[in-house]
Amino acid sequence: MPIRRILIIDDEDDIREVAALSLESVAGWQVSTASSGAEGMRIATAELPDAILMDVMMPAMDGPTTFREMQKLPELASIPVILLTAKVQGVDQRRFAGLGVTAVLFKPFDPLTLAEQMSEALGWS
Amino acid sequence: MPSTKDPEATRKLLATLWERSLPVLRERCALLQSAAAAAQTGTLTQDLRAEATAIAHKLSGSLGMFGYPEGTEFARRIEEHLESATPIDATRLTHDVAALLATLPL
Repeated sequence: MPIRRILIIDDEDDIREVAALSLESVAGWQVSTASSGAEGMRIATAELPDAILMDVMMPAMDGPTTFREMQKLPELASIPVILLTAKVQGVDQRRFAGLGVTAVLFKPFDPLTLAEQMSEALGWS
Repeated sequence: MPSTKDPEATRKLLATLWERSLPVLRERCALLQSAAAAAQTGTLTQDLRAEATAIAHKLSGSLGMFGYPEGTEFARRIEEHLESATPIDATRLTHDVAALLATLPL
């Protein structure tokens, strides 16, 4: 099975660190991280990861805006994006799902099962 | 999907990350306490309310992943309360902040 390369984009240090730990130690994936949408765009363009896990609420450029910007770039448009949100209300869920992302996962996630959730969403199981 | 490490090793690393996050967590809890105190005296400004809302949102998204799901629930209650259009119920806010703190080994 190929080693997956994941880009995590989240402005929260602890979320980035726990998600990276989870994906690296539980699944053995290679993880890059970015603390903003703009930095995430740069890293995604340079590394072309297999998938992107991205927070919804970030300052300056939030997750949905970053996703829309990625869709404008041919090299990034086909990379599956999973949004990560602490918003649990139905209206928010429908709004995020309507963006065209691959999946929406919810915070707080279980570090021991995050990779499994992502694999299922991405069809990697 | 292969598992490369045992869950116990991951839990130990998580505990290390939790310890590292404690200073920031304490600051965030202190801000929520300040917001609740300001609400009690009728001096909760829009800026402090917005800041407390953002902090509650961050806590709701992070505490559960460290093994404190009750903390997430109280943080979520606080966030929804603070971002609602209705006036703040100072007694409820103070109770929820205290309840949140009681769930955490700070």
